[in-house]
Amino acid sequence: MEKKVDYSLRVEMTKMEKLTDIKREKGKVGFVDKSVWITLLILLVLPFLISKPLATEILIYGLFALAFNQLLGHTGVLSFGHAAYFGVGAYAGGMALRYFHVSVWTSLVVAMVVTALVAACIGVLAIKKKGVYFAMISLAFAQMFYFMALSPFRKWTGGEDGLKFIPILKLEFPFHVDLTSALPLYYFTYFVVGLAIIALWRILDSPFGRVLKAIRENEVRTQASGFNVTRAKFLSLVISGSFSGLAGALFTVYLGYGSLMTLFWMTSGSILMMTLLGGMHTFIGPVVGVGVFMYLQNTISVYTDRWQLFVGALFVALVLFFPDGLVGTIKMKYRERKSRA
Amino acid sequence: MKRTYWFGVLLSLSILVFSMGSAMADGARLGIVVPLTGPYGTYAEEMKRGCEIAAAEINATGGVLGKPVEIITRDSELNAGIALRRFKEMVQEDGIKTIGGTLSGGISTVVNEWACKNKALYMTFCHTSFPLGKENCGYGFTTGIIPYMSGVAVAKYSFENLGKTWMNISADYRWGHDELAAWLVTSDKMGGKFLGNIYTPLGTRDFSAYIPQIMAKKPDILVLSLFGTDLTSAIKQFAEMGLSKRLKIVCPKTAMAIAKECGAAYDENVYGAVTWYWTVQDYYPKARKFVNAYMKLYKTPPDADADSGYVATMALFEAMRKAGTVDDVDKLIETLEGQVWQYNKGPEGFRPCDHARTSSVFVVQGKGAKAEGWDVFKVISEVPYWQTLESCENNAKDYPYGQVKLPGK
Amino acid sequence: MFDLSWEIVAMQMIFGLALGCVYVLMAGGLSIIFGLLDVVNFAHGTFYMLGAYAIFVAVSLCGNFWLGLVSAVVIVALVGGVIEWLLLKPLYKRDPLYPLLLTFGVSICIPDIIKICFGLIGKVVPYPSGLMGAYMWGPVMIPKYRLFIIVLTLVVLISLWLFLNKSNLGMIIRASTRDSLMTQVLGINVSRIWTIGFMIGIGLAALAGAVAAPMVASIPDMGVEMTIECFVVVVIGGLGSLGGAIIGGLLIGQVISFVALFAPSWSNVAIFMVMAIILIIRPRGLFGEEGRL
Repeated sequence: MEKKVDYSLRVEMTKMEKLTDIKREKGKVGFVDKSVWITLLILLVLPFLISKPLATEILIYGLFALAFNQLLGHTGVLSFGHAAYFGVGAYAGGMALRYFHVSVWTSLVVAMVVTALVAACIGVLAIKKKGVYFAMISLAFAQMFYFMALSPFRKWTGGEDGLKFIPILKLEFPFHVDLTSALPLYYFTYFVVGLAIIALWRILDSPFGRVLKAIRENEVRTQASGFNVTRAKFLSLVISGSFSGLAGALFTVYLGYGSLMTLFWMTSGSILMMTLLGGMHTFIGPVVGVGVFMYLQNTISVYTDRWQLFVGALFVALVLFFPDGLVGTIKMKYRERKSRA
Repeated sequence: MKRTYWFGVLLSLSILVFSMGSAMADGARLGIVVPLTGPYGTYAEEMKRGCEIAAAEINATGGVLGKPVEIITRDSELNAGIALRRFKEMVQEDGIKTIGGTLSGGISTVVNEWACKNKALYMTFCHTSFPLGKENCGYGFTTGIIPYMSGVAVAKYSFENLGKTWMNISADYRWGHDELAAWLVTSDKMGGKFLGNIYTPLGTRDFSAYIPQIMAKKPDILVLSLFGTDLTSAIKQFAEMGLSKRLKIVCPKTAMAIAKECGAAYDENVYGAVTWYWTVQDYYPKARKFVNAYMKLYKTPPDADADSGYVATMALFEAMRKAGTVDDVDKLIETLEGQVWQYNKGPEGFRPCDHARTSSVFVVQGKGAKAEGWDVFKVISEVPYWQTLESCENNAKDYPYGQVKLPGK
Repeated sequence: MFDLSWEIVAMQMIFGLALGCVYVLMAGGLSIIFGLLDVVNFAHGTFYMLGAYAIFVAVSLCGNFWLGLVSAVVIVALVGGVIEWLLLKPLYKRDPLYPLLLTFGVSICIPDIIKICFGLIGKVVPYPSGLMGAYMWGPVMIPKYRLFIIVLTLVVLISLWLFLNKSNLGMIIRASTRDSLMTQVLGINVSRIWTIGFMIGIGLAALAGAVAAPMVASIPDMGVEMTIECFVVVVIGGLGSLGGAIIGGLLIGQVISFVALFAPSWSNVAIFMVMAIILIIRPRGLFGEEGRL
């Protein structure tokens, strides 16, 4: 039973494996867990099952949800203002494209860097605060960004009209791809998101990821074990924010336009809902949650204007009866089955 | 275990049922996206209904090129990103070439830009600025009006009949700024005296905080460049303070629903501009057909947004009949540019240079407690388009209203 | 910039006070719910909206504003009680995140139900005759209805204080807030206390909505912004502290009123900046309890 981990955490490891079910030896195929491969495979053929714009949005919001869950499900820190990172990434990427005419790849990098800085600032100010207070501060910052983009800084952000006049987007490197066309746009997004998912999985699988889970389970004890909890939480926030910013920049590329709604508080609310729907204690759960939720929302709203009633009721039912979310519940039943067999 | 199983089965079944979807007819289709959920749901619903009534009328007279026409409606949730997704699905997945809608002027300019990049014909039904300046790229048509048109119409009326000194409250976004600009320019031309302006964030609910300043300045006219719940709250609160007894309130854009929501507060001292109102059927008998059809289905009379939807749909499908094509976008654009029609008011068309609707504006007055049912406005005058719409050259330069130096900006 | 005469300042203060009172009622309710049940009620604004609709229905039926006001509060509080009993209770033993999520789901469903029942156009609730217009105190205009709101809030707060401090039930509620396990051990049916506490909190929100109904656009979505704003107030005042919620509400009322005077386009950002500043300087809020999450 060789584990490349810090031995002082071994006791915590065994306990946590029971709780979180990332069984590295048993589940791993190649360099990531098999659930990740399955998901990547499904996502590969998704544009042929549902509409391409919806599939692209599922990729983008799926990445956002994974980044959000890194903080919530794996570090135990609830943020009500994650739209701040998504939106800042969207605007940073958009502004780079519009005002500086950079390439699409550069805009993604710019977005990640800017968002990481923003997350770092917020982290410096707020990461030591507990529970609900951190959640509310993060909401306050997100609202501030929203209203600042809306009014005082409208000259650069376009205000409530959003960021328009972004040039027609295409990739030149490594080969020419026309990004206004639906299918190439999807596979470009798929490529970036796929890499990001693998990166996030690796981060969570590393010793650093183990520390985060320890913090989630029992912060005081982790601190007593000698880990710098504040630094770990801070880094987790920066990573989470940075990948959320990447999702935001991808969203701008997909729309060809920078939308103010990326900063709106409902965006933070929806990503929380979708993450929970999928299961916050699993790695790939949030992506499944995004897929199911967005598909349902897109489809139900065709049939009735009152789709929020159904979605809200579904959500209430979920919270009451399936708190582990879809993937979490499936995993639990699977494990139960196996232990009975 | 059993619970999860059945839930999973139910979920998969519903997914399958939904994904069987609706078989698309092979006739002409107009795909519209309007914010059916959200604070402007009422107006979005009217747009949709106006379009559907027009489609029914077209189908009753033989459809287009022998086949029935269809309106496909999606919800934008007042979100530009979602609106774009719906349009992408319609244009790129379903092959619809003619699209319409949005209620927000801001979103309409975003959709317009996208439509130009993707070569789809876009009909907008709301107040929009895309005929101006660099927003104008040739694939969009509007059956709403350019915001400054209603501002100018009602400003001219006010300076001639209501007084000279004025203050303005503007919702702090583009539409609010456009109306203020229209008033500033008209005020200069007609000898009005501007006393001050207040920008309120979109979604303000409490206007009582602004009352002391307004009362201190004592203007003849208070211009409310607001819409939706902002306007309703403002009028109700100003009426509570008896403000409408001391000055005249003028709204560059108003609606039947707003007067109804304000009740007795929307009285004879409140004036406003609309592009259409149902009692004009007394002057334009052709409108009776539309009003009756709408009332039969929905029990309430249609309002300006329903008219916009109706006019856009009728004009588009008639252009398809005339051009003999359903999806040759360039040919349709050419046909529409030359078309003149008369549906619910006087004769109008789309001006070729900027595709703006040559629409008149009605100045209306409230009735307050004397209002009966849906008869909430008294139509005072109709201002024809040549008194409000700027020339092609001016619109292309966004002159003069785009060049006005707004206070505090 | 106009000259800042004392009349304008006085009037802004009065308007700010009336606005603050609505926030006090909302934040007070939210604070009671959080203090007693440890539940972050994301549907608080929804009950505010229900209060407005309830008074509309009541006044349409009986024609009397005062009767309508009382019945609105009672009806909505009962609805709140039912929701707590059926939907929230099962979730208390789980992670505190779940009740929050449940209230979030509720806040999405209920406005749609209202839209189905009442349509999309807002409702008109008339001012009670006798409260239209204003008193003139020198050059300062004091609107009668705003004065009523201030007086009503004062009455409600005093009644609440008396109830919590002088009655048996109030004592039990205070005990449950402090330590619910111990209270249970002493033989009190804490579950029922929680329901009562929740109903009181909801009743306050409904009252806020009912008194606001004549002044603002009473539409199904009117609670959405209010939820966030009253959270800001509660966090500023300190989670779990009723006194803090009161001070916070009054403070925010004045902030909004004066920011509207000097820099209206910042009035939305202002309250979040205030919250951020206070949380950074004094993380538990103005009167919050140390260690209370």
